[in-house]
Amino acid sequence: METKSIVIGVEGMTCNSCVQTIEQHVGKMNGICNIKVSLEDKNAVIIYDSKLQTPATLQEAIYDMGFEATLADANP
Amino acid sequence: PPRSAMPKHEFFVDMTCEGCSNAVTRVLHRLGGVQFDIDLPNKKVCIDSEHNVDTLLETLKKTGKNASYLGEKSAQ
Repeated sequence: METKSIVIGVEGMTCNSCVQTIEQHVGKMNGICNIKVSLEDKNAVIIYDSKLQTPATLQEAIYDMGFEATLADANP
Repeated sequence: PPRSAMPKHEFFVDMTCEGCSNAVTRVLHRLGGVQFDIDLPNKKVCIDSEHNVDTLLETLKKTGKNASYLGEKSAQ
């Protein structure tokens, strides 16, 4: 397993309920080791198995839930 | 039949804030071919669409929130 970390910008969250929904939904996907969503920073920090997920599939998963998801710099 | 006489489909969606209802709005817009009203306080979404109920329910569930079909609601 090759774990990678990514930060995805998330627009449209307004409360902790939104945060928890994303954490639970994305957290259940295959290959997700850890997800931490921040309401203040408007982003999601995801640690994932790069054999099972890619930045694009993670971005799409959040987009599909009805939020605007943008890929931040992968190497900040 | 005239559009105003078409039954609307009423769904329960567990929304708690503006962010939740905005997420529902986005996924429905992306589906397309729907007219809808969101009643946030009562956690209800009323949809007028050519799509069948299963498609609409699947779309609502994409938000990661609990959703269920309540039934048809005839136009006033």
